[in-house]
Amino acid sequence: MKPPRFDYVAVRSVAEATEALAQTEDARILAGGQSLVPLMNLRLARPRLLVDVNGVRDLVGFGGRNGTLRFGAMCRHRFLETDPLVHQKAPIFAETAALIGHVHIRNRGTLGGSIAHADPVAELPALLVALDGRVIASGTGRERAIPAAELFAGPFTTSLDPTELLTAVEVPAHTDGDGGAFSEFVRRHGDFATAGVAVIVHRDASGTCESLRIAGCGLGPTPVDLSAAGEFLLGESELGDGAARELGKRVAAASDPPGDVHGSKDYRRDLAAVLAADAVRRAWQKAGAARRDPGG
Amino acid sequence: MTSVRFSLNGESAEVDVEPRELLLDTLRDRLAAKGAHAGCEQGACGACTVLVDGSGVRSCLMFTVQASGTEVRTIEGVGSPGALHPIQQALSQHHGLQCGFCTPGMVLTALELFETDPHPSRDRIEEWMSGNLCRCTGYVNIVSALESLAGTGEAPS
Amino acid sequence: MSVAAPPRAPAQTGTRRHEDTRLLCGRGEYLGDVQRPDLKHIAILRSPLAHARIRDVDVSGAMTVPGVIGVFTGAELAADTGEFSHHLPMIPTLRQITWSVLATDKARFVGEPVAAVVADSRYIAEDALELIEVDYEELPAVSDAKAGLEAEAPLLYEDWGDNVFLYMPGAHGDVEAAFADADGELRERFTHHRVSGLPMEGHGALGEFDPSTGRLEMHVSTQVPHTLRTVISDITGLSEAKIRVVAPDMGGGFGNKAHFMREEALVAVLAMRVRHPVVWQQDRTENLLAGLHSREQVHEVEVAYRNDGRVLGLRANFVVDVGSPELYILGCAPAIVTTGVVPNCYDLQDYAFELRCVATNKCPMGGYRGYGQPQGIFLMERVLDLVGERLDIDPVTMRRRNMIPDEPRPYVTATGAVLDTGSFDEQLSELLEAADYDAACGARDEARAEGRLVGVGIAQMVEPTAPNIHALAGRFGGYEMAMLTVQPDGRVNVAVGTKSQGQGHETIYAKVAADVLGISPDDVAVSDGDTAALPYGIGTWGSRSAVMGGGAVIKAARQVRDKMAAIAAGLLEAPADQIEASDGFFRLGEAAIPFGQIAAAAYLHTFLLPPGMDPGLSVVVGYDPGNTSPFPDERGKLNVAATYSTAAAAAVVEVDPATGVVTVSDLTIVHDCGTVIDRVLLDGQIHGAVAQAVGQTFFEEIHYDENGQPQTSTLLDYMIPAFGDVVRPRIVHRETPSELIGGFRGAGEGAIIVTPAALAAAVHDALAPLGVPITQANLSPSRLRELLRAHSTA
Repeated sequence: MKPPRFDYVAVRSVAEATEALAQTEDARILAGGQSLVPLMNLRLARPRLLVDVNGVRDLVGFGGRNGTLRFGAMCRHRFLETDPLVHQKAPIFAETAALIGHVHIRNRGTLGGSIAHADPVAELPALLVALDGRVIASGTGRERAIPAAELFAGPFTTSLDPTELLTAVEVPAHTDGDGGAFSEFVRRHGDFATAGVAVIVHRDASGTCESLRIAGCGLGPTPVDLSAAGEFLLGESELGDGAARELGKRVAAASDPPGDVHGSKDYRRDLAAVLAADAVRRAWQKAGAARRDPGG
Repeated sequence: MTSVRFSLNGESAEVDVEPRELLLDTLRDRLAAKGAHAGCEQGACGACTVLVDGSGVRSCLMFTVQASGTEVRTIEGVGSPGALHPIQQALSQHHGLQCGFCTPGMVLTALELFETDPHPSRDRIEEWMSGNLCRCTGYVNIVSALESLAGTGEAPS
Repeated sequence: MSVAAPPRAPAQTGTRRHEDTRLLCGRGEYLGDVQRPDLKHIAILRSPLAHARIRDVDVSGAMTVPGVIGVFTGAELAADTGEFSHHLPMIPTLRQITWSVLATDKARFVGEPVAAVVADSRYIAEDALELIEVDYEELPAVSDAKAGLEAEAPLLYEDWGDNVFLYMPGAHGDVEAAFADADGELRERFTHHRVSGLPMEGHGALGEFDPSTGRLEMHVSTQVPHTLRTVISDITGLSEAKIRVVAPDMGGGFGNKAHFMREEALVAVLAMRVRHPVVWQQDRTENLLAGLHSREQVHEVEVAYRNDGRVLGLRANFVVDVGSPELYILGCAPAIVTTGVVPNCYDLQDYAFELRCVATNKCPMGGYRGYGQPQGIFLMERVLDLVGERLDIDPVTMRRRNMIPDEPRPYVTATGAVLDTGSFDEQLSELLEAADYDAACGARDEARAEGRLVGVGIAQMVEPTAPNIHALAGRFGGYEMAMLTVQPDGRVNVAVGTKSQGQGHETIYAKVAADVLGISPDDVAVSDGDTAALPYGIGTWGSRSAVMGGGAVIKAARQVRDKMAAIAAGLLEAPADQIEASDGFFRLGEAAIPFGQIAAAAYLHTFLLPPGMDPGLSVVVGYDPGNTSPFPDERGKLNVAATYSTAAAAAVVEVDPATGVVTVSDLTIVHDCGTVIDRVLLDGQIHGAVAQAVGQTFFEEIHYDENGQPQTSTLLDYMIPAFGDVVRPRIVHRETPSELIGGFRGAGEGAIIVTPAALAAAVHDALAPLGVPITQANLSPSRLRELLRAHSTA
């Protein structure tokens, strides 16, 4: 199938982009296009105007300040996956980005695009929730921060206003004692996850778990915050096999996933249990390793 | 209609297209670069893979207007019947193609792989190539062909 | 005219196959690559409803779109075009129906073509589709065969009174007596899910009509160009003399393109109406909604067995969801084949069955590599394992006790297949050795002791190859044709009626022709898929190309070679039967005349020909081994195939009970397709068939909801295996030549027929500690988890 007609503007700045969004009803941002264009090809998405932000310099780049890491919305998955600085400062982003699609999807797809698309099975929205991050949204003449917890409103739906452009993603900086892991089940390499679980652990100098955050993809209508399932591990300094499995059970019980051709509700719960146990084991170990080896 | 200029296999190309026209269709229908094939138009099969500024993209997921000012490389710019590229030679020798519909996309994806990593392991080959579907070969001989290149230590370019 | 020292054959061109260079360089010409000036594009409006009466179709809005040439409805086109039918009036229990190129009164599945737009581009044509208004009266839908058989089921065809499209019983031997003699009975139910063959290039057709000559030229992505020409003639009313069908390079077919799509005929009709060249390319969504589906069947079996493991008799009740019946060749055909292959390579003469093919509101079922055989083989192989499990007899012993003995040959099966195969016993021994079966079982036992779910499974099959299609299509047959011309310069052209979809026919036919002619394959150019090059052909399907096409090419080459030998004999003043053709020469002892000089004599220096010999070196031959039947006999027995191939497989798997993921750690295939033409290309066929078997077992499933709405319309939802998902099989070739020309047996399907049964056996064995039997072909992770969950809560 071929996409329906639309108008197209390639903008050079955030201001140009927000102006274009404000002036046309049913305008959509064109970032990597890896989700939007298939939907347009199927005529399921039919924007009147595409605002191409691929040439906006302000939207690329990655840096840290005052305990916060800021990613430009146009950071491509492939950049997150391969950039040495991202590996060092935000290893969980590198790990998660590598899970997304195939290399050619990652060559084009962007962090901001993925989050704004809000696919409930996508990895980066779940990671944003797990990290308790936020996005920066720009409208004409204004800018606001939207916490992850308030961003995802439903499948493919966010609290972004149609006239707003997601310009950046901010998460707390990675510190010693942090460990993150993203475990997902895909039927084939590069597929959308049937289910995925991100676990972010912080252990103090003695190895005690100070915080543990969990989020899932494919486990609900939006990326879901499942951190409550892990509260029993706070204050623990060891993670036994039984505890990891217990976490899996609790995550599965707390999930209310949809059933579809890729798996029933029960199947996704089964997966959630396996994935959460795996993710917490890995995150826990990394948090410990990070404490011993600050460079790692 | 929008006028779009880009470089196609080193030659300059200029087309007038609607914004909605997919790069795949422009290459095939306006520029006679028919080696990129429409396998799904859903971004799921890789048969339409081309290189844009050296990076592999699915030309069914890119509008031609987005290619403005870029360098596009298609299978027509890789090897020719008298001078097959080493990847093409290896695919033939290892019988890594049958119907050939997915083959141009495979060649371009492999080309980018070897530019990134001249000595990929089998796992790396399979991971990198995983977005390119083939229904004939079971992938077995494609992997063998690419492994043979990885093992020679000659980075094809 | 003789020279002393013949040179070696010309050097290889550097590619393995003749077709490789153009395909590798992106210069293949697939349907979508065929360019014509002023080409117009067809887009098809398809029913969004599974079952609906079409009250009205309003195309006025669509007609206003700039760039639209025409918009056509079913009723309008039906008024002056021919109709499709199944051409099987001889089957009284088949509902006789006709249908048109587009739906007229009713739409019977989501995706059924309802209207068509011709426009300057596909983009514009799709814009116009959105403006066609159809007044549908939605009707309740039949979403599967079971629902379709219920008393109150909605009816696809009201005049039938039910939804049974085909009822076909069969009784062979004395099943009642077998059950009376039995020590035990097994009752089981086997299920097969719906999948798609999914060639990477979908269907498509381009038509051009010249009103001044009345000629219609079609380019179609089809495995059956000549027989399609006959169908196009039915629909358009044009003489076959006025129609040319060309099948260009094909991006796979796998049996899907051996049917006659109504869209292909639609293209012909529209080409004649709009007087522009027109093209329709099935996109992936259309392919998944309205291409063809395959495999879905339910089998209920009763098995009579003796305590020594011998299976004495078998009753089977086959219920098959064939979707919409509006498909030629008959969508029931694979299921009919299923019923025929059930006895497999076992000595089972007492076999009775009933087949019900149920019309449902889903995409038509049709042929896909294996063509009903994977299901029939699955049945018998599962039965042997399940009976063996009851009797504590291992799978190997079960098979040996039931196997058809080595003598006599031919062996006639219960359903009438005249088997000309090699030894099944030896083949099984070879499998066990190649797979290191005992060691694999030992390793499984050790893994099991550690709590891991590892399993080993085996399966065998015998496959009717190069069959006669007449019984299923009501015409055509089991022969093939070839043309061979030696040109004046000694180069050779071959044309055959089969059509390569990627198998490498240009290469293999060149090789078989060159072998006969004693020249290099590089001097032989093969063309297939062009009805203008050859009177007729039956096409490529049913593992027939090497057997029938190869046989025809050899037959043609022999005739030409004999004529050339006669010319050489005249020049060398020797008897023709003493002349040999080899290495590019016709030889008599030390004397040799170059092949090209004989060719030149036949055209350019005809005074050199023996007295009375006609000039030229060109023949057209038909080849029919003559050993197949067009109809079953009065007892329902039918030898459908010219020859039979065999294969056996052993698989080792491990099941992850938490996720349901099955890892295939080892797969061994022993394969006997008679004389092997090219080992590497043959292995490629097996690799591909194994990948498709792995796909249908662990990855692929077409889903519909209870209202007949399809849930798998993209390649993200319908998952075929990718890199890393498939297994690299160990392949052993046995070469038991058939008695046909060349000694060939069919090659392309054996691995997809036998592998699913071996994988199921291995998964069954892996789950033995849990006591979860495998009776379903769908072993995807989610389905396997469902099975495990159901068992743990049961």
